[in-house]
Amino acid sequence: MRNILAPQGTSSPSWYTCGKEGKPMIVFDHVSKVYPNGTVGLKDINLSIQDGEFVAIIGRSGAGKSTLLRSVNRMHDITEGTLTVEGVNVSTLKGKELRRFRRGIGMVFQSFNLVSRTTVIRNVLAARVPEMPFWRVLLGAFRKEDKITALESLDKVGILDKAYIRADQLSGGQQQRVALARTLAQNPKIILADEPVAALDPVTAKQVMEDFVRINKEMGISILLNIHHVELAIEYAGRIIGIHAGQIVYDGPSKEVNQDVLDAIYKEAVPQGKQT
Amino acid sequence: MEKTIAAAYENAPKTWVYKLLLVFGVAAMLIWSSSTIVINDTTGSGLSVAKNILSGIFHPDTKLLFNFTNSGVLYLLLETLCIAFLGTIVGAVISVPLSFISASNLMPRPIALVGRLAIAAIRTVPAFIYGLMFIRVTGPGPFAGLLTMSLCSIGMVSKMFIESIEDLDKRILESLDAAGCTTFQKIRYGILPQLFPDFMSTLIYRFDMNLRDATVLGLVGAGGIGAPLIFAMSSYRWNEVGSILLGLIVLVMIIEWISAKIRTKLTRG
Amino acid sequence: MSFYDRIFKPRRHTLSNGKVVEERFTRLPLIMLIILVCTAISVRITGFSFSVLLSGGQRFFDILFDMFPPNTSYLPKIWTPLLDTIKMSLLGSFIGAVLSIPFAILAASNIVTNRALVFVVRLFLSLVRTLPTLVCALIATYIFGLGTMAGTCAIAVFTFAYVGKQLFEIIETVDMGPFEAMEALGATRLQAFIASVFPQVLPSYLSVSLFCLEGNVRYASILGYVGAGGLGLIMNEKIGWREYSSVGMILIVLFVTVIAIEGLSHAVRKRLT
Repeated sequence: MRNILAPQGTSSPSWYTCGKEGKPMIVFDHVSKVYPNGTVGLKDINLSIQDGEFVAIIGRSGAGKSTLLRSVNRMHDITEGTLTVEGVNVSTLKGKELRRFRRGIGMVFQSFNLVSRTTVIRNVLAARVPEMPFWRVLLGAFRKEDKITALESLDKVGILDKAYIRADQLSGGQQQRVALARTLAQNPKIILADEPVAALDPVTAKQVMEDFVRINKEMGISILLNIHHVELAIEYAGRIIGIHAGQIVYDGPSKEVNQDVLDAIYKEAVPQGKQT
Repeated sequence: MEKTIAAAYENAPKTWVYKLLLVFGVAAMLIWSSSTIVINDTTGSGLSVAKNILSGIFHPDTKLLFNFTNSGVLYLLLETLCIAFLGTIVGAVISVPLSFISASNLMPRPIALVGRLAIAAIRTVPAFIYGLMFIRVTGPGPFAGLLTMSLCSIGMVSKMFIESIEDLDKRILESLDAAGCTTFQKIRYGILPQLFPDFMSTLIYRFDMNLRDATVLGLVGAGGIGAPLIFAMSSYRWNEVGSILLGLIVLVMIIEWISAKIRTKLTRG
Repeated sequence: MSFYDRIFKPRRHTLSNGKVVEERFTRLPLIMLIILVCTAISVRITGFSFSVLLSGGQRFFDILFDMFPPNTSYLPKIWTPLLDTIKMSLLGSFIGAVLSIPFAILAASNIVTNRALVFVVRLFLSLVRTLPTLVCALIATYIFGLGTMAGTCAIAVFTFAYVGKQLFEIIETVDMGPFEAMEALGATRLQAFIASVFPQVLPSYLSVSLFCLEGNVRYASILGYVGAGGLGLIMNEKIGWREYSSVGMILIVLFVTVIAIEGLSHAVRKRLT
């Protein structure tokens, strides 16, 4: 298994930005996660993601992609090592600080996770809820600034005209864009995406990936996404991380991903490691 | 871009008007209904009564509770149980033909409508009226209570039976027809197996409720646990009330637990 | 039930290709036996007898025929108690339905992670549900005095327990995806609940509450019997005076009201789901 860190100064595709300030955004330092029943989720992860990067994580189902992603916003806890986001040690956060921290990180899910019965704009406005007083949340009385922010987010993903339509009347691709708009309404620094295109057809999947690229370039938001489709990952992301049985087996520019690399990532598990 | 956003904001559908109307409507109805809240408690006795009740419930009269004779709580609970049991069965016997008549997929619409109206009419009559009427027939006692319970069950049981009948999957009849069955065989093997679990489930559910409603019968003298409960209450013997309530609640909870298990078994097979 | 299997051994069928299949002896005889025994006991205890039924049945219909033709001149006196009954049901159902919301949330195991709390709240809801409404009304008349207040209270308590149970069952089957998304963007559990779960359960909740309201209108008339106001009160009176034609009038008014409310509630509920 090779462990290649991104070489400096290689000629990279135009969308591979190595960070405007080059400051590290997410840093995994010897991070491991072992579940209570003994299964190993993550094993000695060392990773540094700069501000403004677009990184795709590939690997088999159960290899640990989801665990890695969800430990960034502490949806999953880690058992060893330090995970720092913007200098803050994630494991020390709790309660109010944890929630405030999460507001700066947007998350997009495979199943969109929208409230199907409500309108598109209400789904996007949900992102403003943590900052609103209780009575406003209860009555659903959003302020004008919030509504404008939501509308602007919808505009950025190109579905402004669907703002007042019920969410379940949209197609899959459109719903995923609503979910994306929801994260944009948070004004996040990072967007985590857990298999965002797995439930979409190939054409729509490409459109959504292009949306991610646009957001990354135009708004400078760091993007970390899990994906099954290797071709999509290589085409749109600048940097690829390959995970196998909880360990990073490849970390480098997408151009340099070849068959050997893919074999290392996707091969059958060696009996010594525990398959999750 | 600013213009389109502002335009979208202005063009938002004005649902707030409907919401406001709805809120006003509901508020108006509630305010109109609040005339029922009348507290003519000038002596403050209400609160002391509540306190007495609570203390009585938590210090039940155990002598009465464990009295095994005819007037003991246990015997009366058993009587209530039997009233509910037979009442449900008799109610089922009457409901089955009634629901078949009222099912719109088996009978022509006018007949079905008449059937449903009849069921609605039977359902509207309050239990105690039936109780009083049956007491005329059989004299006071648990028999009258049983008959009352059966008529009261008809309402809900028929309604659920009708739903089951109307949900019948007719395609099974088709395949039985293709296999060459007579009408009787089609009913026995096509219709009954579909209806049976639902019927049983409904009956058990109703049995549950009858057990609880059986206290009404005591009011009119139709047997069961209701009578001693009322007597104890009117004599302010809250300890006895406590013991009776305790017995009743325990019984109902046990039956509920058993019936829930049976019902899940019926639906899951 | 393996005990049963030991007494009545399962039948073994040997197929032509040598495979052996075991068929459990049917439980039917046991079930029939249980039912027959219960019936026998119940008949004995309640004194069920067909002969009494046949001989006395006539009197039942006597009263029935006395009720019709109904005494239409009594109609004006019915309005106030009728409105009282409706008011009691409306207010009682509303209070009960609203009060049940926090309890249903606490009883839903997918929202509240403290298992002890969930268990206690569910137990509480069960306890309140087993209390017969009439008993509740009676107790209420002792606390609040005779009149509609007691009835409203009793209805509120019943609605609280019924809607509470239905509601927490609905909450437990809801799609938790949006809830997870809300937590991921930094909302508290309560905020996440209001913004993601509540819109999903709202139609079913309203449907259940309206259904309860339907039943409560009928119930309210029974409550009057114990002095809790409404139609039951005057019914009791008239029966006492043996003025059956007036009773018939009351019944007809009740019938029409119930049908109207049920029809209305049905239409609204259809639109909700």
